[in-house]
Amino acid sequence: MTARAPRSLAQRLFASAALWSLSILLVAGLILSAIYRRSAENAFDERLGVYLRAIVADVATPGEDTRTEPGQLGDPQFELSLSGWYWQITPLSQQTKKVKASRSLFASRLPLLADQGVKAELGEYRRGYAQGPDGRSVRLIERVIETDEEGKFLIQVAAAINQLESDIRRFEYSLAATFLLLALALVGSTVAQVRFGLSPLRRLQGEVSAIRRGEGDRIEGEFPPDLAPLAGELNLLISSNREIVERARTQVGNLAHALKTPLSVIANEAQSEQSPLADKVSEQAQVMRDQVNYYLDKARAAARSNMVGATTEVVPAIEGLVRTFQKIHRDGVPEFEMDLTCAPRFRGEEQDFQEMLGNLLDNAGKWAAARVLVTLHQEPGFVGGGQDFLVLSVDDDGPGLPPDLREQAVKRGRRLDETKPGSGLGLSIVADLAAVYAGEFTLEDGILGGLRARLRLPAA
Amino acid sequence: MRLLVVEDDKDINRQLVNALEQAGYAVDHAHDGEEGWFLGDTEPYDAVVLDIGLPKKDGLTVLEEWRSAGRTMPVLILTARDRWSDKVQGFDAGADDYVAKPFHMEEVLARVRALLRRATGHSTNELTCGPVRLDTKSGRVVVGAQAVKLTSHEYRLLAYMMHHMGRVVSRTELVEHLYDQDFDRDSNTVEVFVGRLRKKLGVDVIETVRGLGYRLDPAAEGLSK
Repeated sequence: MTARAPRSLAQRLFASAALWSLSILLVAGLILSAIYRRSAENAFDERLGVYLRAIVADVATPGEDTRTEPGQLGDPQFELSLSGWYWQITPLSQQTKKVKASRSLFASRLPLLADQGVKAELGEYRRGYAQGPDGRSVRLIERVIETDEEGKFLIQVAAAINQLESDIRRFEYSLAATFLLLALALVGSTVAQVRFGLSPLRRLQGEVSAIRRGEGDRIEGEFPPDLAPLAGELNLLISSNREIVERARTQVGNLAHALKTPLSVIANEAQSEQSPLADKVSEQAQVMRDQVNYYLDKARAAARSNMVGATTEVVPAIEGLVRTFQKIHRDGVPEFEMDLTCAPRFRGEEQDFQEMLGNLLDNAGKWAAARVLVTLHQEPGFVGGGQDFLVLSVDDDGPGLPPDLREQAVKRGRRLDETKPGSGLGLSIVADLAAVYAGEFTLEDGILGGLRARLRLPAA
Repeated sequence: MRLLVVEDDKDINRQLVNALEQAGYAVDHAHDGEEGWFLGDTEPYDAVVLDIGLPKKDGLTVLEEWRSAGRTMPVLILTARDRWSDKVQGFDAGADDYVAKPFHMEEVLARVRALLRRATGHSTNELTCGPVRLDTKSGRVVVGAQAVKLTSHEYRLLAYMMHHMGRVVSRTELVEHLYDQDFDRDSNTVEVFVGRLRKKLGVDVIETVRGLGYRLDPAAEGLSK
C-alpha cells in the first residue's frame, strides 16, 4: 500500500459539502417520493371508494331480489373480462348464497385482505395490495356490511395498479432528474465557494513562493483576520531566518579574522628564521591556511543553504568587479572589457555571485595576453514555467586549455601551472558555488582564442 | 619614503614595521582606526598599509574619510576578509591594492614597492639617474659598475629623491618623508646626509636649488669631483 497524501483543504471542504448535500438530497427525494406515493394511493383509493359506496348502497337497499346485478356501476371496465377493474360481493352469514362478482373477474375470485393480515380501519374497512386474477397486482379495498335481512356481506372493489405505478414511477423519474440537476448545481456552487473562500490562502501561498523566488522581501497586502496572524508570523519567521544567516556569516567572518591573523604572525615569524623548525612551521602554516579557507567555504555554504530569497542585480556586481580588476591591472595589461546586453537578476547572494565572477576574472587575468571580455546574456526558460537562466562568459586571449585538461582544472587544489600564483582553489570554488545554486560551470574554447569560462546561473 | 602601518594585532604590526624598516622605509604605526586616521590625515605618507578590521573605526571608513578629504597616498589594504565582494568594497572605498591574510611578507613588500613606483610614475623596480642606479627591490645602489654601500638614512634620502627625479624637493619635505614621527627632526641633518651621499656616490647628481631645496637632475651627467 502506498501512503496517501493528505487531502487538500479545498478537497476536504468540497468532499464534506458534497457528501452533506448529496445525502440531504437523497433523504429529501425518498421522503418526497413516499409522500407522493401516499397521496397517489389515496386518490386511487378514493376512486375505488366511490364504486365501493355505490355497491354498498345497492346491497344495503332491501328487497331487491329482482336485481341480478347489484353492481351496475355504469362503468364498462367491470364488464370486460380481466380488464383490471373488479368487484365482488361475498355473503358471510349465509353460506348458501352465491358470491357475486363483476364480469371482468370471469371465473376467478378476489383474495381476502383479512386473510393477508391487513388490519381493519374504521367501519371494517380494509385496503391493500393483492394479486389479481391475471397475476397482476391490484389495489383492493373491502368492507363488511350488515343488512337486516340477509346478514353480513364482504364487499370488495379492486383495480390493477399499473396506472398508479407508472404515475408514481414517472414522478420518481422527474424527481430524480430534478434532484440530480440540483445536486450538480450544489456541487458547482460548492466548488465556487471553496475557490472563493480559499482565495486568500492561495494569495498567501503566492506571496510566500514569490519570497522564495526572491521577488519579494516580505508578505505584502491585506489578509482576512483569520489569515493575517499567519502572514505576520511568516514575515517574522522570514526576517528571523535572515538574521540567523546574517549572524552566521558575521561569525564565520569573525572566525576567519581570528584565525588568519595569528596564522600570519606564525608564518612571518617562521620565515624570518633559518632553521628546520622554522621551515616546518612555514609549511604547516600553509597547510593550516588552506584548511581554514576550505572550512570557511564550507561554513559559508551551510549558511547559504538556509538563505531565503536573496537576489542580486547582476550588472552593478559585474561593473564593480571589472572596476576592481582594472585597478589591480592598472597598467592596462590585460584590458578588462564588458559586453552586457541585458540586466537580469541572479537568484542568490551578491557575495557568492561576486566570488564566482571574481575567481573567473582572476584566472582570466593571469592567462590573458591582452584582453579579457565579460559577456552576459539571458536564456529564457522553456515554455511551461521553466526556469530562466543568465549566462555569463569570461573570455581571454591567452593560450587556452586543451579539452582533456579542462575537467582537471576545475578540481579542488589542482594547479595546472605551478608557475602562476594562486591557491588552486579558484575554479573549484566557482564550480562548488555554481552547483549550490543549481547552475552550470564549463570551460570551452573562447571567441578571443583563449579559454572561455561559461557560467549558467538561475535568474530571478 | 615614509609609510604608515595601521594594524590592531600587535605581532603583525611589529612584523610589518620591522620588515618595512629593513627594506629601507621610515615607518609609523597605529593600532586603532582613530589613531591611524589621524596620522594619515595629518602626516604626508608615501603609502599606507591598512587593516580593515580595526577597533574604534574600521579600515574602510578610515580610507573613505581620507579620500573624501583629498588624501591621495596609495593605500594597501590588509585583511582576513578575502572574498571578492570584500575586495570590490575595498577598491571602491579607494584602496590601491589588496593583500589577504594570512600573507607572505615578501608579497606585502612587493606590493608596497609597486604602489610607490606607480604613485611616482615609474614602471620598474630599478630607478636610474645618469650613472646612478637604485634597485628598490634589493635596496642596492650602483654607480656605473660600482656598488655603493649606504646607511639606511642615506638610502632613504636617495630613494625619495630618485622617485621624485627632476622635481625640486624642499628640506621640509625630505624631513617629513625620511623620518618616522618619533625621530628627532633637525633639518640640519638633511644637509649632513646630502653631503655624505654626494661623497659616497662620487658623482654630482644632487643639485642644490638655493632657498628651495634639492633636485635630482636626470639630464646632468654628474662629473667627478
